Amino acid sequence: MRRIFQLLILLFILALVVIQFFQPEKNKGEIDSNHILKSEQLPEEISSLLSNACLDCHSNQTNYLWYHQVAPVSWFINGHITEGKSELNLSDWGSWDPIDKITALDDMATEVKKGKMPLQSYVLIHRKAKLSEEQKASLTAWAESLSEKVLTGE
Amino acid sequence: MKNLNLITSLFLLLLLSSSISFADEKPDEKKITLKMPEDVRAVVDNSCFGCHNTDSRNEDAREHLDFKTMHQLSDIKKLGAFKEIREVIEENEMPPKKFLERRPEKELTEEQKKILIDWVKKESVALMNQNQ
Repeated sequence: MRRIFQLLILLFILALVVIQFFQPEKNKGEIDSNHILKSEQLPEEISSLLSNACLDCHSNQTNYLWYHQVAPVSWFINGHITEGKSELNLSDWGSWDPIDKITALDDMATEVKKGKMPLQSYVLIHRKAKLSEEQKASLTAWAESLSEKVLTGE
Repeated sequence: MKNLNLITSLFLLLLLSSSISFADEKPDEKKITLKMPEDVRAVVDNSCFGCHNTDSRNEDAREHLDFKTMHQLSDIKKLGAFKEIREVIEENEMPPKKFLERRPEKELTEEQKKILIDWVKKESVALMNQNQ
């Protein structure tokens, strides 16, 4: 019985080691001129809110913590990033037409207002991503005013 | 006899007025409030409106999109709605597969999809131009 138990633990450790060789590609692209932080003149507060609470999954640049690089956590994180980017990738902001910008801003405001974004599981680990009521209000106010500006072509 | 006549006419008057007020209410019950071409309206009516209206029992559907109140949305919200319509149709997410199992006649043909997509594209551009 003890033998079997030892064998199982050994197998488990072996499996953990083996899966480390199957890592997803890291989300570490260059920031180019289309990135929202480059192509849009943002108030300081908004840039840091976006960086702290959104851009890990909604841009081509993720700030990884050390254990994010360990499988199977890395697989889980990668799934989140891929999904987040497919919904909204703020690295491409500058290349969008006005309609896409407006609808993205409207979605951002709605999700933040409803408390759906940033994801709770993300906030649990990234305390900086936790938005206070004031921060939520400034983020939504910014999104709403920018979408008005894009709409009227100011 | 005179009295009876009076009562009858009063009754008729009441009936008439009630039917008039009923007629007055009709525009409120009008189904799709947003102005749209007839071919678009026919498709929306057949495949979307059943769930996407204020009185729908499908809460999720009416929160996402409500064809009875859509005309009241701000231009920004309308643009959002148009974009979502386009996305769900292009991705074949709407009408939902489960719903189509029961009501296969509600499935959109390629032609109907094109009618809707062309319409939302055109409306979005028009909304943008109006505001510029």
